[in-house]
Amino acid sequence: MKNATTSRRNFFKTAGMLAAGITVLPSNSIKGALLPYKISPVVKRHVRSVEGKWVPVVCWHDCGGRCALKALVVNNKILRVKSDDTHMDTPDYPQQRACLRGRSQRMQVCGPDRLKYPMRRKSWAPGGGDKSLRGKDEWVRISWDEALDIVVNELKRIKEEYGNESIFSPGGEIKRTLNLFGGCVDSWSNDSLGSWMGSGKQIGLYAKKPNNGFDWVGCIGDRMDMRNCQLVVMWGVNPAWSSPGSPTYNFLQVKKAGAKFIFIDPFYSSSAAILADDWYPVRPGTDHAMILGIMHTLLNEDNPVNNPLIDWDFLNRCTVGFDKYHMPEGADPSENFKDYLLGKNDGQPKDAEWAAEICGIPAARIKILAREIANTKKVALLTSWAPARVNNSDSWPQAFMTLGCMTGHIGESGRMTGTSIHIATGNGGPPLVYAGNTGLEEIPNQVGGGSNYTRGRPEEKLSIPGNQIWSAILTGEYTAGKDRNRKVDIRLMYLGGVTNMLGSREGQKKGFEAIKKPDFIVCHAHFLNTTAQYSDVVLPVTTQWERDGLLQDDGNREVIFLGSKAIEPLFESRDDMWIAKEIGARLGLDTRLIESATQAQQLYNSASGAMVIKDDGKGYEPLLTITEEDIKNIGVVGSPQKGRITFKELREKGVYQVPRSPNDNFRHIPLEDFRKDPVKNPLTTRSGKLEIHCSDLAEFVAAFGWSVIKPIPEYVQPIEGYEASFSDWKTKTKSKYPLQFYSVHYLRRAGSTYDNVSWLREAWPQEFFINPLDAEVRGINHGDTIKATSRHGTVIRRAHITSRIRPGVTSMGAGAWSELDEKLGVDNAGSSNMLAGDITTGQGTSGWNSCLLEVEKYGKELIPDHKWPARILFKNEIHE
Amino acid sequence: MNNKNQLGFYLDSGACIGCKACIIACKDKNDLPVNINWRRVIEYCGGSWNSEKGNFVPSGVYVYYLSVSCQHCESPPCLEACPSSAISKGDDGIVHIDQEKCIHDQSCLYACPYDAPQFGSDTARMSKCDMCADLRAIDKNPACVDACPLRALSWGKMDELREKYGNITAIDPLPDGSITSPSMILTPHRHTRLLSNGKGHVTDLPEKAPTEINGIGPNIIKQLK
Ligand code: SF4
Ligand code: SF4
Ligand code: SF4
Repeated sequence: MKNATTSRRNFFKTAGMLAAGITVLPSNSIKGALLPYKISPVVKRHVRSVEGKWVPVVCWHDCGGRCALKALVVNNKILRVKSDDTHMDTPDYPQQRACLRGRSQRMQVCGPDRLKYPMRRKSWAPGGGDKSLRGKDEWVRISWDEALDIVVNELKRIKEEYGNESIFSPGGEIKRTLNLFGGCVDSWSNDSLGSWMGSGKQIGLYAKKPNNGFDWVGCIGDRMDMRNCQLVVMWGVNPAWSSPGSPTYNFLQVKKAGAKFIFIDPFYSSSAAILADDWYPVRPGTDHAMILGIMHTLLNEDNPVNNPLIDWDFLNRCTVGFDKYHMPEGADPSENFKDYLLGKNDGQPKDAEWAAEICGIPAARIKILAREIANTKKVALLTSWAPARVNNSDSWPQAFMTLGCMTGHIGESGRMTGTSIHIATGNGGPPLVYAGNTGLEEIPNQVGGGSNYTRGRPEEKLSIPGNQIWSAILTGEYTAGKDRNRKVDIRLMYLGGVTNMLGSREGQKKGFEAIKKPDFIVCHAHFLNTTAQYSDVVLPVTTQWERDGLLQDDGNREVIFLGSKAIEPLFESRDDMWIAKEIGARLGLDTRLIESATQAQQLYNSASGAMVIKDDGKGYEPLLTITEEDIKNIGVVGSPQKGRITFKELREKGVYQVPRSPNDNFRHIPLEDFRKDPVKNPLTTRSGKLEIHCSDLAEFVAAFGWSVIKPIPEYVQPIEGYEASFSDWKTKTKSKYPLQFYSVHYLRRAGSTYDNVSWLREAWPQEFFINPLDAEVRGINHGDTIKATSRHGTVIRRAHITSRIRPGVTSMGAGAWSELDEKLGVDNAGSSNMLAGDITTGQGTSGWNSCLLEVEKYGKELIPDHKWPARILFKNEIHE
Repeated sequence: MNNKNQLGFYLDSGACIGCKACIIACKDKNDLPVNINWRRVIEYCGGSWNSEKGNFVPSGVYVYYLSVSCQHCESPPCLEACPSSAISKGDDGIVHIDQEKCIHDQSCLYACPYDAPQFGSDTARMSKCDMCADLRAIDKNPACVDACPLRALSWGKMDELREKYGNITAIDPLPDGSITSPSMILTPHRHTRLLSNGKGHVTDLPEKAPTEINGIGPNIIKQLK
């Protein structure tokens, strides 16, 4: 009440302004943020209840979900969005409801901070200019002609002086142009999958069966079969945050069907909040130690007659390497897993007591868990890739698989062992519907290329491991295999494909140093994200809502999407392909090769080749009926075809979802045939079986040149893991960096995308999670500003004190757009990549979840994230 | 007093993951700026850690979420408090703020124990949830209800909701239902009675001006331990 007078005064002031016809646009208001256009409140009220034109649009980010969205468009303006209303919603056939980010998509697409014009930094000059000013220079608006000329001149100059070997580009349409131009240095990484990338395949869990191709998306059962489980173990799985959309809802049906849920996670996650019956708060990076403790318990307590805990039949028939009697050909019998568990060779049994000291779960609890997993008939052992985004985790996938093998929870209904992750979270199996090939032909890169899949043999082309990019720029060298370093001199970085490389790579502090070195940096961007901030030339590109769409099948196995163009390109933004062709033309290249199939042709190809599973589950049939008229409308030459639904219907609805019911024919039970007859249905591993002893894996890892592992899943301490938090392990004396840190997928962002959206900033402030016990000894209160420092960098954030995180462990969402204080060398936005070091191990795995740091109270107040000014450039020029 | 037509919300707290899709859907539908949240999600958390043989073990750690908007109370104190009679209760029990009559003195905000009325510094008006009156008028569900990826939210006539879901209208940290007779039925989260026992705390970080953090205002913050 005491505010009444001041408020009333405000009221009169505002009322007066309104009366005078002045639009009041508060800086943080949606009216300011919604659109670069003005819409009167009256209009908005009106259209709210009027059905305008709902255009099906896509949500296109790397979020782990994929959902249906529609945008309400009136006069080239987006007024609101809605999600799936194309069919009735049931648990068996659920609508593909968008998460909060998809729901806020218009705030991103039409944000006030959308880049409007091509621009270059003021002090740029041919050859670089004052490069130390990158990141803090002013921006100058330039024309497309000028921008393209600058890029083309720099490309020509660098090529002439240093060769194509000095041009770096990690992806995007522009890569086609650069490949035609003679090629460029490439990059590879296993960022998402961590050590599952190579290990999953080598050991047999991701091994493709000939003629029935599936990789990681098929390594667990589908959501219907999961309802047959009695127990679901969620090892580092938190779909509520990392796979939004339908997956958590699907898990809820599994729970309703009667399954018990056990979570193994340093954080009592939001998925655990609704699903968990029990929780094992393991320390990050020690999962492998814990699982060895579980397996030792099984071995120790198993008695085939009185207390059968181990499925010996499965081990003997379907695996190699468990004991000395079942070794693969040519292997040393003493190098078997059983003897390792028992400590025959090193004198250290990997028993629950040994594991407890490392992983933080008391031995008695480890034993209880072991018995429960073994004594329950139908179990899903699910893990995400998170525990494998740990340095030295190359054997973890194999250890996880081995538990599945010992307990036999593989290859039968309701029994599965594998990764529940990304689009295959809680729903594994080959796609039930998929798009046709777009017909865009690949253009070979003469200079760079090659991923970790082709590694293991000498790499002839230049391809920098993602986690060595910054050091490669600074030192001119990177690791290209065992005993093999390669020289590289990066002069020009072309960051197409809307990558935010500077924000999304660990060792970010080094990144800020390295980014000042090359002669020229150009990027494509929607916003001034961290990477755009530090570039010389920034080219504004359209979002997917400003382009005609193609069929999109990168969601869960049951859906396919077709988005349409909702609005005309904002300001002067252009499609990535347009830029690729313009630059190509200026370089004198054949642009017909760059866009080897027109957008229309690609649409037709992806539509006519789209297939859907037949009702009997045996084979596929064409998805779409395409008429002469459709073909004419698309604007291509083609022949009509018959399919399940009409092209027109897909265009209008934007989504097709294969209806499902519990007794349909689309079940997926991986390795079922294999389990029944492993001789007749061998895997693609060397032995044809699941390999608990896998020489191929050990050789594969060694070939990368960073570290070596054994053919059996032995535990290797992470570089900056729990053990390294002590200066003396025996006396348990803590080191200078005593707390563990790991970063998580956070609902504010998908990767680093969406970080600028004010609604999401408000809903999910970037907070630093810490346990009350750790906070208390440091005098930190809930909401205090803290400074977190690792060996690699420092961030400032507010502390979120919560019992949900285990003592000794801290965490933050990944992907915040840095606000670097160059003088103090700290990041006020809390990018987790400032804390994670660029440490590479094994098959090129990064250590995002194996970090160490110290936290202290920090004197200054932080402005809440959603009140930080948006990065708006050239404000005054309103688009009409 | 029992209005047969009274509409209300239903929340299955046991299914809510606190994702805030409902908040964003509400903001999108109603064009709400930051700082104005007709729907809020409260994170309620508790439990502690014990030391056991050199290891820490959790003791009753839990978290659950409550997504709340205006409760369209049967005895709305906001209505009583408004000095300019801007607030009224319709035949369907929906509590409205008449934007023309509102003199934004914020009496309703202080009266409402749910922090439902939100002050828009841009519009200089109080505003709050009207259960998407416009969408209901064309036979659609409120935006938040259709948005929930967990299908934790629903709405309908209170009599029917009660029949289907019981009559629990408050769990920690919400105010006792007897104060305003809120029109929301809850299925309590499984940890509500087992563990929370009034000993948890709201963990959303309050700002200096508490009304500004996710729209959770002084009345709920008050209940912070
Ligand atoms: S889960 Fe992904 S696809 Fe779905 S709405 Fe969210 S960001 Fe978009
Ligand atoms: S959308 Fe549903 S699950 Fe998410 S916070 Fe709202 S009520 Fe809870
Ligand atoms: S919740 Fe608050 S604003 Fe809504 S009717 Fe009740 S007292 Fe009034």
